[in-house]
Amino acid sequence: MAQVPGSPEEPSRNTTLPWSGDGGENLLEAIQALDTYKKKDPSKVVVRFKAVGNAPIMKQNFYKITAANRFQAVIQFLRKELGWRAGDPLFTYINLAFSPAPDDTVSNLYKSFATEGHLIVNYSTTAAWG
Amino acid sequence: MSAYATTRHHSPSAFSASASTTLYRRLTWEGTVPLEIRVDPNELPANSDRGLECYYMQAPRVSYLPLLVPEIRRFLMDVVFDEAASKMLKEEDWWFESESRTLIKWHWPIGLIYDNHIISSSIKPSAQGSTSYLNMQVTPLKLILHLASPPTDKLLLSPSAEACKQAFMGQLKEADFLRWGNTKRMTSLRKAEQDGIWEGVKEHNFDDYWRVAAKVTPTIAPARPNSPPPPPSGSMHTRPPSADPQVAPDRDGAYNVRSVPVRLYLPDGPVLQDLVPPMLEDGSPHTLGHYLSTHIPLLFPPSSSSDSDLAFALIHGVLAPSEAEMAWLGACMPGADGWINVCVGIAQ
Repeated sequence: MAQVPGSPEEPSRNTTLPWSGDGGENLLEAIQALDTYKKKDPSKVVVRFKAVGNAPIMKQNFYKITAANRFQAVIQFLRKELGWRAGDPLFTYINLAFSPAPDDTVSNLYKSFATEGHLIVNYSTTAAWG
Repeated sequence: MSAYATTRHHSPSAFSASASTTLYRRLTWEGTVPLEIRVDPNELPANSDRGLECYYMQAPRVSYLPLLVPEIRRFLMDVVFDEAASKMLKEEDWWFESESRTLIKWHWPIGLIYDNHIISSSIKPSAQGSTSYLNMQVTPLKLILHLASPPTDKLLLSPSAEACKQAFMGQLKEADFLRWGNTKRMTSLRKAEQDGIWEGVKEHNFDDYWRVAAKVTPTIAPARPNSPPPPPSGSMHTRPPSADPQVAPDRDGAYNVRSVPVRLYLPDGPVLQDLVPPMLEDGSPHTLGHYLSTHIPLLFPPSSSSDSDLAFALIHGVLAPSEAEMAWLGACMPGADGWINVCVGIAQ
C-alpha cells in the first residue's frame, strides 16, 4: 500500500500493535467466531415478484426464499417459474430502483430494502432502470 | 443556500466541499495496491517470450480489474506474445484467479480484492508464523490471468468493460437508494454525466469523477464561522449539522441519510449488509465501533472499552479507528461506487 502523506495516524510498517500477550487463545477465539459467522442462515424471507411492462404475471407472486441464497439463485428460480431459457432476456430490479449484484445475498437485500415484510423484485423483458 | 425556495435541485459542486472532505476524498482516490499479474503458463501461446510473462503494476484501489486489461494487453503484445498470438487475444475471455485458485470477482474494487485476499491468506494455516497483518511487508497480490474459457456459470456476468460499467452504475444506484429511499439523484443525472462518472473511473481522473459524484454523494457541512477551527487531520470528528438548531437542515447532509452504504467483509465470507443509520437512538453519531460490535460482537465485544483484542477493521487498507463516524466515512471516504467496504481481519 503506498504511503499517503497526511493520512490519519497510519501505523508505520515497523510498529507492533498492542495485542495482548495471550495471542494463541485470542486467535482461537477469533477463528471460532469466524466459523460461527460463516454458518449459513437457514431462515427464509418473503420475496414478492412484480411484473413490469409486458412481462407475464405469475399465478403466484409471493415466495419464501432461503435468506442465504445469492440473488443469482433468485434470478434462476424466476426463470424456471416463468419457463424462460438462459438466453431469454430477463432484467430484475429491487423496488423499481436498481439491479443488485448477482452475488448479493437475499438476506442482505432483505435487511436493507424490505418493505412491509417482503422484498420486492421487479422483473422485465427489457432494461428499464439499468 | 436557500435551495429549498427554488424548484431546481441545488447541486453541491466538488468545490463547495470543505477542504477536509476533499482531502480525504483525494487520499481515498489516490490509494494504490501492488499487483503481480502472471499469465497461466499453460495458456501461453507458442513462441511466447517465457520468463517475461509477469506484469507488475500499482493499481488504484478504487478501480476495477477489467479496466486494467488494456494496459496488461499492451504489455503482453509488446513483450510476451508474437504477432500471430497477439491477433488471437480476446479480452472478453480473460479472467483472473488468485494464487490459491480462487476465482476473482471482477466487479469488486481492486482495493477490496487486495485487502480481502491478503487478510484471508494471513489466516490460512500455511501462512508464515504469527505475523500481524500490519507487521507484514506489503506484498503484491499475485493474480493468475487466464486468456480463455471463462467459467461463466461462476462468474455470472461476462467481465467486459461494458458489463463492468453496468455493475458499477448499479452499485451507485443501490447506494443512492439506501441513502435517500429513492434514486432521484442518480436518475436526474444527464446521460453525459452518467457516462462521465464512469469515464472518471476509467481514466482515473479525480476531477472528472467528482464533478459528477459531488451531485450524488452526501456532504459534511463546513464549520460555522464562530466555532472552533477545523480539527487536526488525526481526528475524524465533525459536528453533525442536525445537532445545531441554527443551521438549516442540509438536504444532502451526510447525517441526514436514511442509511450509510456499508458492507462488511469477513475473510472467506460472508459479506454482511444492513441498514446503517447515521445517528443512534440516543442521539449520538453511529460510530464504526458501535457498528462492528452490533454486527459481529464475537469479534468486537461491545463491553470492551478499547479496540478489540481479536480483530481489526480496514477501510481502504487503513486501520480505521472505532470512533470514526459512519456518516462521515460515507461522505469522505466512499469508494468510487459510493460504498464503504469494511474488511475485517483477525489479530495474530
